[in-house]
Amino acid sequence: MALSFREISRNIWQTLSSIKTGVVLIIMVVILSAAGTVILQRPMTDAEDMQRAYSPQMLRILDATGLTDVFHTRWFVSLLILVSISIIAASVQRFPNAWRYYARPYKSPDETFRRILATKAQIPITDEERALSAADRALEELGFRPERIVRREGFSLFAERHRISEMAVYIVHTSLLLIFLGGIVDALYGWRGFLMLTPGTESAQVSVRNGTIRTLPFSIRCDGTGEETYSDGTPKRWWSKLAIVENGREVTRKEIVVNDPLVHAGIRFYQASYGSTGKLDHVLLTATPSTGTTRQPQEISLAPGQTVTLDSDTSVELAEFIPDYVVQDGHVYARSREVVNPAVRMVVTSRKTSRSVNFWLPEIPGIAENAASPYVFKPKDLKMGYYTGLQVSHEPGQWAVWSGVILMGLGLTCVFYIVHIRLWVVPVLDESGQMMLWVGGTANRNRDAFEQKFRKLIGRVQSELQPQETEAFEEQSTLFAGK
Amino acid sequence: MARARAEQQPATGTTLIVMVGLSIAFLLFMAFLNVVKSGPVLNEANLLYAALIFYAGAGALYLGFGVTATESYIKFASLATWAGLLANTGAVVHRWYEAGHPPFASLYEMLLSFVWTLAALTLVAEKRYGVKVIGTVTMPVAIVGVVLMQLLRSDVKPLVPALQSTWLHVHVTLAMLAYAACALSFALAMMFLIQDKMKTETFLAGTSLFTVGLYAAILTRFEKWGGLSVIAWDAENKSEVFLSRGVRLFVTIPDLGWMMLVVLAAVAAPLVLYLAARLKKDEGFLATANRAVFVSILLQTLALVFFVLRARDGQYPSLDADGLYPTTLAASPFILTGLVTAIFASLLYLLLLWRREDLEKLLPDSEALDRITYKTICIAFPLLTLMIAAGAYWANRAWGSYWNWDPKETWAAITWLVYAGYLHMRITRGWRGRRAAYFAILGFAVVMFTFFGVTYLLPGLHAYA
Repeated sequence: MALSFREISRNIWQTLSSIKTGVVLIIMVVILSAAGTVILQRPMTDAEDMQRAYSPQMLRILDATGLTDVFHTRWFVSLLILVSISIIAASVQRFPNAWRYYARPYKSPDETFRRILATKAQIPITDEERALSAADRALEELGFRPERIVRREGFSLFAERHRISEMAVYIVHTSLLLIFLGGIVDALYGWRGFLMLTPGTESAQVSVRNGTIRTLPFSIRCDGTGEETYSDGTPKRWWSKLAIVENGREVTRKEIVVNDPLVHAGIRFYQASYGSTGKLDHVLLTATPSTGTTRQPQEISLAPGQTVTLDSDTSVELAEFIPDYVVQDGHVYARSREVVNPAVRMVVTSRKTSRSVNFWLPEIPGIAENAASPYVFKPKDLKMGYYTGLQVSHEPGQWAVWSGVILMGLGLTCVFYIVHIRLWVVPVLDESGQMMLWVGGTANRNRDAFEQKFRKLIGRVQSELQPQETEAFEEQSTLFAGK
Repeated sequence: MARARAEQQPATGTTLIVMVGLSIAFLLFMAFLNVVKSGPVLNEANLLYAALIFYAGAGALYLGFGVTATESYIKFASLATWAGLLANTGAVVHRWYEAGHPPFASLYEMLLSFVWTLAALTLVAEKRYGVKVIGTVTMPVAIVGVVLMQLLRSDVKPLVPALQSTWLHVHVTLAMLAYAACALSFALAMMFLIQDKMKTETFLAGTSLFTVGLYAAILTRFEKWGGLSVIAWDAENKSEVFLSRGVRLFVTIPDLGWMMLVVLAAVAAPLVLYLAARLKKDEGFLATANRAVFVSILLQTLALVFFVLRARDGQYPSLDADGLYPTTLAASPFILTGLVTAIFASLLYLLLLWRREDLEKLLPDSEALDRITYKTICIAFPLLTLMIAAGAYWANRAWGSYWNWDPKETWAAITWLVYAGYLHMRITRGWRGRRAAYFAILGFAVVMFTFFGVTYLLPGLHAYA
């Protein structure tokens, strides 16, 4: 017999909302995530390291199955979506019941309920009304606010606390779904990239993680950047002075450091790194005329390609900077890009004689023409250019994630520490026709602690009742005594 | 054989207590004499040394109880733990003051915080939960922790920019508390299994399996021709030797690999004998298995001693560079921890074997332990959740993204899922007793992998701890 559409859809629903499905899906997530930590993942590991770690065939299989970038493959994301659907289905299936339980409190217990309830006690009483008021007082002393319930046979009391606890589990699951939603939104609509700026430059281009270039609707300008180090050289602080320029106008300014980003229009700029561009920024020198006058040495600063006038006749230009020089066959070469052995070539020009002299610092024998220069230069300082590395990100889904986290905190507090307690007090007649006060209660968690509270309540009720019995006794005894 | 042994050494309670008390006093006095000559008395190193002495005393008394079952030991052991905790707190405060930040920035500082937490939790477990024997487990671990600290570089390391955030303190504090709660739940689950009358042979198989796992992990460093490769150490700069950025230089200590292989066989022997006993239905194998555990402890100690001696002196060749390089214990904290833990686990098994009835009398009943385990996980789970959340928020501020699927992050999430699974099975499916205990033990195994396995076996961004 073919299954009807209704039956099929019901089967699917049953499977989706069952706990077994949830558990199986979660185990699959765990196995795949673990695989993603053990197998080298692509964007983080260099292609060379990948090729060194795995044989070509293995690498081909891993790439084909997506195991080299597990967390971004379609099937992993689908798995997470399936987990979300399973949570939703399980919650939706159980919610109506829980809501009925939550929205319609059971205030007046019938006989069957009273019989099967686990935590209960019966106290013999003489007067129904007095007994109820005694119980009322006892409940209030323990911090409850009892309610009088009208029944066919008379009155009863009902007190409860923290009904929200029944909903706690749904709060936790909703928060989890919120977090997943945020993650999915970020995966689809968010992006992350990198931007390098040197002081004085401005840019709107960000090189995004996946290799493309993204142009921002505004540009960001670096007004300065720097590094502070500890005495042993480890970096202490990286800072950048940034400004946002939109439509030609400066909109915001901020000095950022690591852990304190600049946020504008939902885009965040993080101080990620700092480094030398390898290019010279400027040199500081003192210039003294070589033919002895008593003029003071001038302090000048030369940037690459910059010309500075020393006097009415002479000017000097910074023509070449070699970070790590080496001399071979009468020529000066750069051995590396690291500033190990710096050399600077300046061209000193005399207008009168229109002669240019190559002044080298340090004075390289055989190449430098320092003796012929009208000025002698002494080096004071060398300032390299530095860049600031900014991490740029746009994560629209993060608000869902943070709200989910806060909600989960509240939900978990509810689940573990907030207990729904219900207490009933009903005057009944037992089998022998004796009047009794039936007291019963439930707690949805921490039942052993609740049992103790219940015993305390019974004790309280009894002590509240006792003066009445003593009163009744005293009345009787005065009756007798007065006789 | 175990019984005869116990009857041979009927040490009286007071003798050991007096001996321990005198040793503590003596050591403190000697230390005081030494110290009073050189500088301030209450500095971090001295306080730590005092803590070590007190923890050693407490450990000796707890273990003394383990051997002779004299209950009065526990009381004095508690006192010694209190004294040690006081000294430890002084050391923490001093370190905090000197460094300008809470002690979380280096392995040395993490050990300092961890040892403090262990002592605090021991006392909490004793007072609040009435589990007085927990010191037999925690004190030796604390002693190992303090000893390890003496071997590591202790200069105040300045924080690199990424670590200069209050969120660091929040995240790491939560992590320590969460992991400590998980460790406690593990110990309680183990105690439950004892009270639930799980057979001693099953514990034998479990311990043997665990130590086999540890030695297998150590043997991932087995080098061709029988050496064991460890990280080289630059004594001048007091740091590991790097070939290039992020790539450490490994040297090979010859013959140590063979030694570890032999010990692996020795720790596997009890497991093999246990399986033989099950298959052949012959109890005789079990007696041999217990003797094999005892022998394996001797061999493990030998391996540890060899490792320590070789690591401390000697220059070794490397497969990646020319010349000989030294190494040190500080360069191989995980191997050292693994060796010590294996010995410790084997000793705990012997404690169970020889003193099971006394333990069962001292521990709460199985139902209570089951409930307390659940309650402990009810504390651990929210802490885990908050730890992950704080870590994500901090990562967002420092690196621009709250989740990177970094191995440490991923395994933290897996840990969270496992404990969520425990709670689900318990609340929704009513799992109690044995099944719940197994789940709790699985959870802690995942915690240990997240904490040690990820750093030791897998690479990633979480290079700080």
